Amino acid sequence: MTEMTYAEAIRAALREEMQRDARVFLLGEDIGRYGGAFGVTFGLLDEFGDQRVIETPISESAIVGAAAGAAMAGMRPVAEIMFMDFILHGMEQLVNQAAKVRFMFGGKATVPMVIRMPGGSGTGAAAQHSQSLESLLAHIPGIKVVNPSSPYDAKGLLLSSIRDLNPVMFVEHKLLYKTRGEVPDNEYTIPLGVAEVKRKGKDITVVAGNIMVPRTLIVAERLAKEGIEVEVIDPRTLRPLDLDTIVNSVRKTGRLLVVHEAPLTGGWGGEVAASVASSPAFAYLDAPIRRLAGKDIPIPYNRNLERAAVPQEEDIDREIRMMAQNKY
Amino acid sequence: MPIEVIMPKFDMDQEKATVIEWVKKEGDQVEYGEGLLTVETDKVAIEVPSPASGRLVRISAKPKEVVPVAKVIAYILGKGESIDDLPAEVKEVEGGESSDRAFHKGTITAPAREEPEISKGARTKASPVAARMAKSMGIDMQQVMTSGERITKADVRKYVQQAYVKESPGKKPATPAARHLSKEMGIDLNVVAGSGPSGRVQASDVMEYAHSLEIKTIQPAAGGQKREAELIPLEGIRRTIAERMQASFHDIPHIALIIEVDVSNLEELRSRLNEAANHEYKNNISITALLVRLTAETLRRHPYLNSSLLDETIRLWKDINIGVATAIPGGLIVPVIRNADQKPLNKINEELIDLVERARKNRLSLDEVKGGTFTISNLGMYGVTQFRAIINPPESAILAVGKVVRKLVVTDERDSLAIRPMMCLTLSADHRVVDGVRAAEFLRDLGMAIESPAVMLKQVREG
Amino acid sequence: MEKITREETGYGIISGEERFLSKISQLELTDDELVEMYSTMCAIRRFEIEADKLYAMGKVHGTMHLSAGQEAVAVGTWRAVRRDDYFLNNHRGHGHFIARGSDINLMMAEFLGKETGYCRGRGGSMHIADVETNNLGANGVVGGGISLAVGVGLALKLRQDEHIVVVVFGDGAANQGILHESLNMSAIWKLPVLFICENNHYGMSMEVRRSVARLPIAQRADGYGIPWKYIDGNDVLAVLETMRIASEYVRSRQGPMFVEAETYRYFGHSKSDRNLYRTKDEIESWRQKDPIVRFRRELVVAKIMTEEQAEQIDQEAQAVIDETVRFAEASPEPEVSSVTDYVYA
Repeated sequence: MTEMTYAEAIRAALREEMQRDARVFLLGEDIGRYGGAFGVTFGLLDEFGDQRVIETPISESAIVGAAAGAAMAGMRPVAEIMFMDFILHGMEQLVNQAAKVRFMFGGKATVPMVIRMPGGSGTGAAAQHSQSLESLLAHIPGIKVVNPSSPYDAKGLLLSSIRDLNPVMFVEHKLLYKTRGEVPDNEYTIPLGVAEVKRKGKDITVVAGNIMVPRTLIVAERLAKEGIEVEVIDPRTLRPLDLDTIVNSVRKTGRLLVVHEAPLTGGWGGEVAASVASSPAFAYLDAPIRRLAGKDIPIPYNRNLERAAVPQEEDIDREIRMMAQNKY
Repeated sequence: MPIEVIMPKFDMDQEKATVIEWVKKEGDQVEYGEGLLTVETDKVAIEVPSPASGRLVRISAKPKEVVPVAKVIAYILGKGESIDDLPAEVKEVEGGESSDRAFHKGTITAPAREEPEISKGARTKASPVAARMAKSMGIDMQQVMTSGERITKADVRKYVQQAYVKESPGKKPATPAARHLSKEMGIDLNVVAGSGPSGRVQASDVMEYAHSLEIKTIQPAAGGQKREAELIPLEGIRRTIAERMQASFHDIPHIALIIEVDVSNLEELRSRLNEAANHEYKNNISITALLVRLTAETLRRHPYLNSSLLDETIRLWKDINIGVATAIPGGLIVPVIRNADQKPLNKINEELIDLVERARKNRLSLDEVKGGTFTISNLGMYGVTQFRAIINPPESAILAVGKVVRKLVVTDERDSLAIRPMMCLTLSADHRVVDGVRAAEFLRDLGMAIESPAVMLKQVREG
Repeated sequence: MEKITREETGYGIISGEERFLSKISQLELTDDELVEMYSTMCAIRRFEIEADKLYAMGKVHGTMHLSAGQEAVAVGTWRAVRRDDYFLNNHRGHGHFIARGSDINLMMAEFLGKETGYCRGRGGSMHIADVETNNLGANGVVGGGISLAVGVGLALKLRQDEHIVVVVFGDGAANQGILHESLNMSAIWKLPVLFICENNHYGMSMEVRRSVARLPIAQRADGYGIPWKYIDGNDVLAVLETMRIASEYVRSRQGPMFVEAETYRYFGHSKSDRNLYRTKDEIESWRQKDPIVRFRRELVVAKIMTEEQAEQIDQEAQAVIDETVRFAEASPEPEVSSVTDYVYA
C-alpha cells in the first residue's frame, strides 16, 4: 500500500496502462511539459514521448471527435478536457457520434475511448469553470459516466474505464485532486456499474456523488455519537447505476437522501429517487425520498456565495437530522 | 407493361395528398419527368412528374380528391401497348379504381382518426378508450357523468377519483413501510396513532401499537439464560394457519373413519385414459384429479358432508367445491376447484395443475381459495400410509388420503389371496352435523366409486 | 468576388477525342477498366433512381439524400484510392459506397430497415457503415465525420500504418467550425487525411455563392498550409487523375490534402425538397454536362465501347438493382424484442 493523492492515483493508472497497452495514448491541452492544468499528467511526456502524450491546440470539438475516430480505428485514446465546462464544445462529437456509432452500425463498431475532465466548484473559478455536468452526460444512452471519490476508487475505476469498450466519461473533482488515500501497489481494478457502501448504518441511506462522499462520511461519524446510524453509499458509476445496492439499503433503513453538487432540477438525484420509488424498496419507505443538491444557479464568484451554492457539511448534517426525526 | 402512376410520398410524415388539377388529360402523350398533375400536401403545392414516356390513361383521381400515398392514380402505356394490357380489374371499372398498392409493413402509419363514437341505443355514448377503462375497473358506464356529448377517458377518471374519496373520506396518512407492516401483522391502520407530520403513521407507530396489544414475538428465555434458537415471529400465513387450526380443533368435535380401498381399477383406468388421450391433453391425469371427481360425484348423494354449520344453521351447499390442500413455502394453502362434480375430468386435471403451480409461486387470487365445501389432503407422496386431518372450517368434513401400498389381501369369499394396491382413506367429520352412520355411508360409497371408477365417470372429457 | 477558375489550377475539361485518348494512356487505363468505370456509374445512377422510386412508394422510412449527378466524383475517387483505405462520408454517400465496392444488397436492405442490412436496420440511409472494410460510416450530422477522420489519421500515424483516411463532405460542411479545427489539427501533425469536398452548389437550398465567403472553398486550405486542388467533378478522368496524385501525396506522409470537386445533384437535397430554390433551366443545363452521358459519348467515339454495349450495360445495371430490391424486400425485419441491443459493447 502507498499513500498518494487522487491526482497521483490517476497518473499511476495512466502510466500503468500505457506501459501495458501500446494502443493507449493521451490527448489534451497542455498535458505535455506543463503536465496538465491540474498536474495530473506531469512526467508522462518524459516517460512516453510526444507520440503517446499528444498536446492539442485549443479545439475541444476536434479533441473529442479525434478521440472517437481513433478509438473507432482501434486505438485506446484517453483525452483530457481541461475543465468539464468545455466538454460542451465537444457535445456533438460525443453525443451524435461516439455515443451512437455502435448502435447505428448495428453493433459492428466499438468506440473504446475515455474522456477525463475535472468538474466542480470551490476554487473561485466562477460560473464557466465550475460546473458539474455529469447529469447531462448520464442522460445519454451509449456512454458510461464514472465518478470516483477517492484515490483508491480513481485508480481502479480509470483502469476499468480504459479497458471498457465503450465511450467512458471519467468525471473528476477539482477539490479532490489533493486528497490523500491508501492505494494498493499491485494491479487492481474496480468494475464499472458497482456501487460501494462506504459506511454501514441502519437509520438512513445517503447516496452521495464524488465530493459529497467525504463530506457525508464526516457528518455520519458525528451523528453516530448521537445514535443516528447513517449508511453512506458511493455509486461510483452514474451510468450504469448500481440500483440494487441502493434498493437493498433502503429496504433496510426506510429512508433515502441523495446528495450531489450538480443543480437540483434535472439532476441525477431525481433519477435515483424515481428508480427507488418504483422498486420493491417502496413498501419499506418510512419517509419521503429527499435530494440535497446544488442550487439552481450558475456558480457565483464570491467565496461565501460560492460556498452557499452547493451542499456543505452543515447542510448534509441538518438534512439527515430532519429526516431521521420525521420532519418531512 | 403499362407503368403505374402512383401518388408519391414527398415528406417524411406524409400519408396523403389532395389533387388540385390534372395538367395532362386522358389520352395525352407525356414525356418522362413532365408534370402530370399538381397536388397539395400539408405543406405546399407540388407537381407530380411522369415516371415514364407514353400515353396517359385511366386517370382515376379527381380534383379535390384526397389520395393516400402509393395509390395508383393513372397508367402510362408504352409503344404498342393498349388498354387491353392493363390489369383486368382496371379495365372493367369505368374510371379505373385499381387495387390499392399501399405497402403496409409498418412504413405507413394509419391516418390519425378521432375516437369514433360507440352508440348504445338511447344511452350516453362513450369513446372506446373510456369504455375499455370502465370495463376493466368494473364501472357501470351509466353512472359516469359527462358534460360533453360523450363519455371520455377524463370523465371515467374523475368518476373513479370521486368514488374513491366517497369510500375513504380522510384516508389515514401512513408511510409505505407502515402500511406494509400493518398488513403483515393484521393490524388496522385506522386505530394506530401517527407520530409523523400531519399525523402520518410511521412504521415505529405500528410496532408500538403491536407491542401494546401484547402480540408477542418469540422472546429469548428471560433471566439471562441464552438458548440458541432461530426466531420466527408468528405472523402472516403461519399465524393464520395457527389460528384457524386451533379454532377448528377447539370448536369442532371430530370423528374419524377409515377404509382401505383397492385402487387397481383406478390405476388401470388412469393409464388407459392417459394412453388413449396421449396427444390431446397437455398433461397426464393424476390420481388426485380422479379422486376429486369421484369424491365430488359421491358428495352429490351425501349432502351433509358438503355442508357448513353457521349461526346455528346447517347449510347444505348446492355447489360442490373441492379444496385440495397444497404445501407452499411457509405453510399450507387450499385452492378450490369449483363445481367439481360437473367439470369434466381433464378440466379438473388442468385446473389442479395450474392452481398448485400458482400456489407455490404465491399467485393465487382470493377467489381461488374461498368457497370450498369439502377438502382433500393427500400425503401419500411422502410415504404416509394413513393420517387424520383437521377439518378446514367452515366445512364439515375432510378426507385424508394415504400412500398406495401393494398388499397381500383376501380377494373373495373363497379366501383367494392376491397382491393388490391398497390406499387408506381417513375421513374426519364434524359430529355436530355428521353422525357416524352418515359418515360411514359416504365413505363406503366413495370406496365403491374408487374401486369401480369407470361406472362413475360417465363424462371424461368435454364435448 | 474574386474567383479562381478551374483552368488556372491546371485541371480543365477534357474535350476532343485526342485529348481523351492521350489522357487514358497517360493514366494507364485499360479498356476493361474504363468500361467497368462506366458500368459503376450506371449502377449508381440506377440505384439512386430506384431508391427514389421506393421512397415515393412509401417503402422507405424517413428520408434519403440522393447523389444522382455526382457519379464521376465517386467512381474517379475509388479507382484512385485504395479500396481498403479508411473512409468517412456524409449523408449523400450512396455513390461512394457503390464505387468503393460495397455490397448493394446489404445497402438496399439497410434502406428498407431490414435485419440483413449493413447496420441491421438500425442506421438507415444516413448511417450506413461497413466497419470491416474500414468504411467508418455515413453521417447524419453535417461535418460529423470530419473530426472522426482526424482521429483515424492520428491512429494511422501512431501505428505507422500505410493506409490513409478519406473523408468526403459537401460545400455546406465547409462552413462548420469543426472543419477548421480538423484542418488545423491534421496539418500540425501531418496526418494522412484526404479531405474531399463535393461542391454541388447547394447546401440544402442555399447556393454556394451566397454561403461561402470566398470561393473556391478549397482555397481555405491555404490558411492551414495544406495543398489543394479544385477540379471539374463531372469529369471522371480528371477526378481519377487528381485523386491519384492526392492519395500518393497523403500516403507519403507529407501531410493532408484538400480536393474540391465541382459537381451537381439532380434530385433535391432530401425527399422533402421542392426544388423551389433553383430553376428547371438550371437543372437542365447541368444535365447537358451529365458525367455519365459525357463519359459514354467519349468511350463510344474512342471506339472503346459501342452504343449497343453501352445500352446493354445500363440495362444490366438495372437488372442488378431489381435483384437487390427483391433481396431487400424478402429480408426479415429486426425482432422488436432486440430493440435495446447494440447500445453498449
